Amino acid sequence: MGGISFLPDEMPFYLTDGGVLRTMRISRTWSIVMYLPFLICFVLFLIVPLVYGIWISLHSWSVFGGNGGFVGFDNYIAILTPGNIYSTSFYLGLKNTLIFVAISVVPLVVISLALALLVDAIPKKLKVYFRTIFFISYAVSVTAVSAIFKWLFTGNGGYVNNLMNSIGLSPINWLNEQPYAWVSILVATIWWTIGFNMILFINALDEVDETMYEASSLDGANWWDKFAYITFPSIKGVFVFLTIISVIASFNLYGQTLLITAGGPAQSTQSLIMVIQQMVFTQNNLGIGSAMAIVMGIVMMAIVAAQYFYSFRKE
Amino acid sequence: MKKSKTKTALVVIAASIIAFLFLLPLIFMIFTSFKALGEAMSSSALLPKSWTAENYGSIFGIGAEVPVLRWLFNTGLVTIAGTALVVFVDVLAAYSLARLNLPGKKFFLSIVVAALTVPGIVTLFPAFYLFRQYALIDTYAPLVLIYSANTMGVFLIYSFLRGFPKDLEEAAFIDGASLLQILRFVIFPAIRPVVATLSVLTFLTIYNDFLWPSIVTSSDEMKTVTVGVANLVQGANFVNPGRMMAATVVATMPALIIFVAANKYFVRSVVSSGIK
Repeated sequence: MGGISFLPDEMPFYLTDGGVLRTMRISRTWSIVMYLPFLICFVLFLIVPLVYGIWISLHSWSVFGGNGGFVGFDNYIAILTPGNIYSTSFYLGLKNTLIFVAISVVPLVVISLALALLVDAIPKKLKVYFRTIFFISYAVSVTAVSAIFKWLFTGNGGYVNNLMNSIGLSPINWLNEQPYAWVSILVATIWWTIGFNMILFINALDEVDETMYEASSLDGANWWDKFAYITFPSIKGVFVFLTIISVIASFNLYGQTLLITAGGPAQSTQSLIMVIQQMVFTQNNLGIGSAMAIVMGIVMMAIVAAQYFYSFRKE
Repeated sequence: MKKSKTKTALVVIAASIIAFLFLLPLIFMIFTSFKALGEAMSSSALLPKSWTAENYGSIFGIGAEVPVLRWLFNTGLVTIAGTALVVFVDVLAAYSLARLNLPGKKFFLSIVVAALTVPGIVTLFPAFYLFRQYALIDTYAPLVLIYSANTMGVFLIYSFLRGFPKDLEEAAFIDGASLLQILRFVIFPAIRPVVATLSVLTFLTIYNDFLWPSIVTSSDEMKTVTVGVANLVQGANFVNPGRMMAATVVATMPALIIFVAANKYFVRSVVSSGIK
């Protein structure tokens, strides 16, 4: 590189010139001054709420009435022991959320990978336009997505049913019947979030070593061989990362089901965050709500950790 | 060679068809906003038969029932302030971690990474309750401040700086530059692409956030545009698809324009550089 790399990597370079101690002290002061704004924000808006949330979950606590006394693990026992109103709504939300995770993660990852492979095969000059188009829904908020898809799928006067009517198909009650309600939510979610996954896949595909494709072509490898033995192994890290990201995103299902189906029909799309939100505000029970949020967080972290270790156990 | 040309053409045609299908929801949104009530409810054509601006009139007109402009103002203010705060705080912290002699560096770096795994839902309601205790609900404070705790930006810039050679900084130091001069003339120009990426990502995150602004705002004037539109979807206004879509167009356009303008920053793999 030609530069003067006379310092070990871990050492700050401000120690060099005369007065080692003085510059070291300056560097140290500045390092603290510069880190401090972030640390203050981080502690105030993440650490304090985190600890406070755990504290609240051990109390009988309401938003409007405040602290009603220490109850130990009673809130956790209530939401985990079947047969009471808290555990019934918790398990309902958990079940619905897990159903959504199960039906959404595979399409979210597979379709975005397929799109990325398609875009990758497009000549360079046109590529950037397609990249932009497929990524554009990333800029749309969940409420706008919901407004659009609710009017696409609404049973009476919705565009999809009007279209089906005009070609002689009988309309479907998309939002008030299962499995159509899940289909509507799934289509809206795929449209909304697929672009981000695709962009990361495209970036990963750009970094695959081209010479390996050329060599394999000489060996007579077909498209599938190339994908299975060259492409996929090269992008596996991104693949695992996006699977994990998609699981987390699907776990956080909230806006789509609140706005498109309002949790229906018969609470079958009532997601866990909707349950927690109602527990805190409608039922005015912050203690139970906090315990639910913490259990949800633990379940999410456990699933993500399992995925992570399962994916990399051999390497 | 000929064979690969036909193949490329087929790929482009297939991609074009999929791209058109992909854009349909947005096309539907825009065209429906120009349809009158009767047509919007019954039409199976995308294009309006008779164009009308009455839906936009009901939003922007004098005495409009829906204060979309006020919501857009709130969103704009909160998004710009929040993004500026995140970028300021994250750049300084990342530089301190990557280059300076920060005491307890290992510990501070590990909490940055560990925080990435904490699900947002765990801190959401206690944070709301704390803001409520200090009577800050329905003010701009919670709408701006909460995003500064996200450590993703610190991690992104830190990763970039670790891969960025120190030679220039060393040379500048030997030439007698101060720390602030090094930051201004060496570091800032170098990290501009990452900062741009972080800014756009943060901007869109704040602009489009829904759950948090929906619980820390209560009056109509303090709502952000996502919360306002959500209330329209849930409320009585929903019976008119044309008006609903007009509100959605107004709410969505600023973010779409910024997205398309900033799109080039997503083109290179800066976003993925942090995850490998």
